[in-house]
Amino acid sequence: MDFLELDSVTKEFPNRSGPPARIMDRVSLSVREGEFMAVLGPSGCGKSTLLQMAAGLLPVTSGEVRIAGRRVTAPPPEAVYVFQQYTRSLLPWRTVRDNVAFAVEHRIGRRRARDAAETQLGQVGLAGFGDHFPWQLSGGMQQRVAIARALAAEPAMLLMDEPFSAVDALTRLDLQALILDIWTQRKLTVMLVTHDVDEAIYLADRIAMLTQHPTGVSRMVEVGLPRPRDPITTREAPRFLELRHDLLDTLLARHV
Amino acid sequence: MICWTRCWPAMSRRLVAALPGLVVLALILAGLEVAVNAGWIRRALMPPPSAIGLVLWDLLESGEFAAPLLATMKLVFSGFVIGSAIGIAGGVAMGWFPAAYRLLEPLVELVRPIPKAALVPPLMLFLGIGETMKITSVSLAVLFPVLVNTLQGVRGVDRMMLDAARTHGWGTRHTLWHLVLPAALPFILAGMRISLGLALVLAVLAEMLSGQGGLGFLILDMQRSFLIRQMYAWLVILAVLGLALNTLFLLAERRALHWQPANRP
Repeated sequence: MDFLELDSVTKEFPNRSGPPARIMDRVSLSVREGEFMAVLGPSGCGKSTLLQMAAGLLPVTSGEVRIAGRRVTAPPPEAVYVFQQYTRSLLPWRTVRDNVAFAVEHRIGRRRARDAAETQLGQVGLAGFGDHFPWQLSGGMQQRVAIARALAAEPAMLLMDEPFSAVDALTRLDLQALILDIWTQRKLTVMLVTHDVDEAIYLADRIAMLTQHPTGVSRMVEVGLPRPRDPITTREAPRFLELRHDLLDTLLARHV
Repeated sequence: MICWTRCWPAMSRRLVAALPGLVVLALILAGLEVAVNAGWIRRALMPPPSAIGLVLWDLLESGEFAAPLLATMKLVFSGFVIGSAIGIAGGVAMGWFPAAYRLLEPLVELVRPIPKAALVPPLMLFLGIGETMKITSVSLAVLFPVLVNTLQGVRGVDRMMLDAARTHGWGTRHTLWHLVLPAALPFILAGMRISLGLALVLAVLAEMLSGQGGLGFLILDMQRSFLIRQMYAWLVILAVLGLALNTLFLLAERRALHWQPANRP
């Protein structure tokens, strides 16, 4: 069953001179319940715009977004958006614990939200860091805080906007493993936007490749690699290398 | 913030850093003393600092200083609190709700540039010369810098933080209280710091014009009564009040913004 559906979504931005700029033209895409979908495309191809519309953070010009069968007009309770720039989405005046409590404090009150936050911090390997401030932690740890915050809301779906692009290569591997664990444990549906081909193949069940100007889905690729995936051996599998070759070929050809 | 052994070195370093400035101050006082005693400056205009010191000591020892000082402090405080509260509320409203901005912006831009001292005479017509008039004058002076800074701070809140609040389902009220206000706090406090100085100016002026109560009235009254040493003594008390208010505010500001890069340990 499809959990997230984008139904011929078109997006136009107002233009100071002339007609509005159509940056996305009738894009249709659906993510099945429990699926890990990667959306792959070069920078500036409208990946984030697509994800923000899926999250109800940005209105569509025409077409429809549905989550769990219901039309999205505002951020739905089922899905939480995880931002690329954790430094800008975490609140610098709040401790790590209170940043995670952020997700639910308006529903269950500060005190219970803090208890819930402790549990989530343990899940992402940050037990004992509740009293720190975000700026006292490394980039990778800050992104873990952002993930813990998203999990605290107990969403059915995560919408992730290049969540690992701002951290170093080793930390990225750690965070990818963490996200796969969480996805498996909680049976989440994930849509993850990235420009990293390896990351898309390693994490996803299916990969949607985007074209530019205006944005559209050019290909839908079944990854077909067995799970659980391994950070080393999966990347050496023939299927991985074949896909990597194929996808990079498509991405690079467009740049020439 | 409680640290004795660890903070002492830092404090003594700060004392050493302040030393040259204190020496300049002492030299000027000594120079004045010499100049007045040598007759280069007329005693009637500027008594020697030591004589002012003696009068000041009398005021302090007799406790005579307390009532006027308290009156001025009360005035500054009430005006500051009322003006800041209105300024913050107005700034948040204008920064968050476009309708409020369109409604109030012309009014704010018209009244803001008027030196608020010029509004004291018309206020006296409506409110008399009592506390109401004085507090209103101080509040008006405090209001605008706070409002304009709050407005700027509210508009500057990072879109990404606001989107984080939206994706987690925060309502408008929760967002304003727990995201917009704390995010705008550095701007709000910067506005309040400007306003604190203005509050003191307007308090003294309102006291002078109303002819009753407080340090402002006394300074003018002593000058008119040719009690020049007393005038200077009250002036010193006023200066110390200004310094104390500013220092306290800076401490409070640092404490409230402990998370900002400049204030991190």
